[in-house]
Amino acid sequence: MATFQIWLVHALSTASPGVAAFMRSHWGWPVAESLHFIGLCLLLGAIGVFDLRLLGVAKRIPIVALHKLIPWGLGGFAINVITGSMFLMTEPDQYVYNPSFHFKLLFMAAAGLNALMFYLIPYKAIRRLPPGAAAPRAARIVGAVSLTMWLAVIVCGRLLTFYRPVACGATGPGFLAECIPARNAKR
Amino acid sequence: MLDSYFLWLEATRFSAWVREDPSIFVFPAVLAAHTIGMALVVGVGAALDLRILGVAPHVPIVEMKRFFPAMWMGLWLNVASGLVLLVAYPTKALTNPVFYVKLTLIAVALRILKSVRRRMVLVAGAHPAPMPARLRLLAVASLACWAGAITAGRLLAYTYTRLMADR
Repeated sequence: MATFQIWLVHALSTASPGVAAFMRSHWGWPVAESLHFIGLCLLLGAIGVFDLRLLGVAKRIPIVALHKLIPWGLGGFAINVITGSMFLMTEPDQYVYNPSFHFKLLFMAAAGLNALMFYLIPYKAIRRLPPGAAAPRAARIVGAVSLTMWLAVIVCGRLLTFYRPVACGATGPGFLAECIPARNAKR
Repeated sequence: MLDSYFLWLEATRFSAWVREDPSIFVFPAVLAAHTIGMALVVGVGAALDLRILGVAPHVPIVEMKRFFPAMWMGLWLNVASGLVLLVAYPTKALTNPVFYVKLTLIAVALRILKSVRRRMVLVAGAHPAPMPARLRLLAVASLACWAGAITAGRLLAYTYTRLMADR
């Protein structure tokens, strides 16, 4: 595992030197962070409002009509994948070894699978619902899971900096893969 | 003059507790709550603005008000968590002009929201209803203010000149 992580950190940090140069410039990191937060709001706004409708809020809005907001949520997600990758490529050690980041990815994968389930199972039935109708039970579950997962993604993202592993003196890519076994050996 | 007040506030047990307790359920949790609140306020606000600007035209706009409670929840969560953060680091925030820019942008965005709420009732009826130019302008201004407030908020971590009153 350590070998893979060292390789991954090395690959990420050499992948796009232009990105790292921008991110290390005076305003690079704060600008990318601001965009990441704006993307987060778009994502939770569009997808969260849709989830709330599935859960029974604003029943008089036809679900199909509200679904037109979703591409904007995906746009927010795209902004965040791009800016998120920029963080990852600039400081891979801070993320590749960070449990908060691992959980964040896990919750994102769960949210993705959940969305896939939505289009595979209740979506077709929903398209035929008259305005004012409650969403079927499967869709309500999807809405609840989606909201929970995205809120968990936000919390994990915000907590990332508090689980940042501390350098142990080794340098170069993958320094923590050297540090962690050393730290564990001491316990 | 303000420094003596900052010194007193930073020395209170509550301020020191929020700042120094190593638990993930204290300072990091307050930050996480502040982020969730932001996502709720700006998220629902942006969804409303997008609707006004023509996204999802078949959504009856008046019905969007049903999502407002989520927004108020986020707003109160952020007033509370924001006050806690302010008590933890009063010097850091209040000596930074960017903090006042953030507060001003939030105030303007909320004022715009009030205006939008009053006007959106008037376009009730047939949908997709054409949106008055004035309402669309307000929606654009609202999006700009929220984006600005978020950016100013994020920049607080980079632009402060003094962290605490005694250093």
